[in-house]
Amino acid sequence: MSTYKLYYFNVRGRGEVARLIFAAADQKYEDIRYEREEWVSHKSEMPLGQMPVLEYNGVKLPQSAAINRFLANQFHLAGKDNFDQAKVDAVVDTINDMISKYRPIRMEQDEAKQKELTKTFLADELPKHLQNLEGLGKLYGSGGSFFVGNNLTWADLYFYDIAQHILELDENIFNNYPWLKENRQQVEKQPKIAEYLKNRPKTSH
Amino acid sequence: MSSGDLKFYYFDLQARGELTRLILAAAGRSYEDIRFGFDKWPEYKPKMILGQAPVLELADGTQLPQSLTIARYVAREAGLAGSDNLESAKIDAVVDTQKDVNETYFSKVFPEKDETKKAEELKKFLDETVTKHVENLGKLKKAYSKDEKYFVGDKLSWADLFVFQSIQALLQAVPEVKGKFGEQFKPLMDAINGNENIKKYLDARPQTAF
Repeated sequence: MSTYKLYYFNVRGRGEVARLIFAAADQKYEDIRYEREEWVSHKSEMPLGQMPVLEYNGVKLPQSAAINRFLANQFHLAGKDNFDQAKVDAVVDTINDMISKYRPIRMEQDEAKQKELTKTFLADELPKHLQNLEGLGKLYGSGGSFFVGNNLTWADLYFYDIAQHILELDENIFNNYPWLKENRQQVEKQPKIAEYLKNRPKTSH
Repeated sequence: MSSGDLKFYYFDLQARGELTRLILAAAGRSYEDIRFGFDKWPEYKPKMILGQAPVLELADGTQLPQSLTIARYVAREAGLAGSDNLESAKIDAVVDTQKDVNETYFSKVFPEKDETKKAEELKKFLDETVTKHVENLGKLKKAYSKDEKYFVGDKLSWADLFVFQSIQALLQAVPEVKGKFGEQFKPLMDAINGNENIKKYLDARPQTAF
């Protein structure tokens, strides 16, 4: 029987999508969460001195995207064939483009500057990414509410997770994007996801 | 297989398109290599799925955006993406690690207009980022490679081609980086340069600024 261990900090951050995939697949795993002080003594155990890391049957895999894609493929949440898998990847990459514009803003220490940058991000940057995502969902989604085909894939889980950060900036943002709003609602309705969301630790980010 | 099957749309540059061209070359896969200058982009943009390039278009007109997604798709079709899910994941891990470094260069060094600041960022990039990166690639190779050459297992994969292309592109942009890679990637670079299909492509490809 295969063993899965996920090593990450006690936050959602770059680890939560893997946890959502495990939940959707109803797959047991060791959810190892290190506090900052603990991490120092474990850093050298990780291939690149970073987390998240997935340990699968004793083999350590770094890089959150590689981990997420691997798990999704293991549990048939990645798309039914190579082309569907590529559509899923395209949605994921598009979500990444969006969030990569936001991460530097989140790191901004000056509160006033951060407020300004966030405002600009919401007005000038975010809309085109959300439009792109709605476009992909409508094109690849076979008329349904999931991004690719008519089934849940990790693209939906990834969007669900990232969208939570966006909602913290503007809780009404998806009122202008009905397809995306419906997509998120379909994700949280999935019984195993609903149960996971109810019980997961509450963390700051 | 006719080249009408597959169309690859990108600028007449290497940049974010070359990896896919290398994979298709290694696979001996024919395709329409559609290249355009910046002046022609306004014509192409509305035809591209997200208004961005590169785009891969299949025979039935379905389009795929996103350079690494396209590369992974054609690599999988060509058997250059690992022999099972775990190998594919190891390949992805190497690709993501290289991508992090490329993105650091393109976000911190490349766009800097101020000469002094740019020199500072470049020094930091060479001394810290590249040094750490070469170490990291070495660690991954040690963990995943079965021979001394290829990153994962004992076969050429698209991770090897991505590192190859990224090193070449970086050398062209920043010749100072040459000494940083040492000898550890020489067997890989030699193997790729010696690959018949790739050699044919490299000898014939257009010379571009980047």
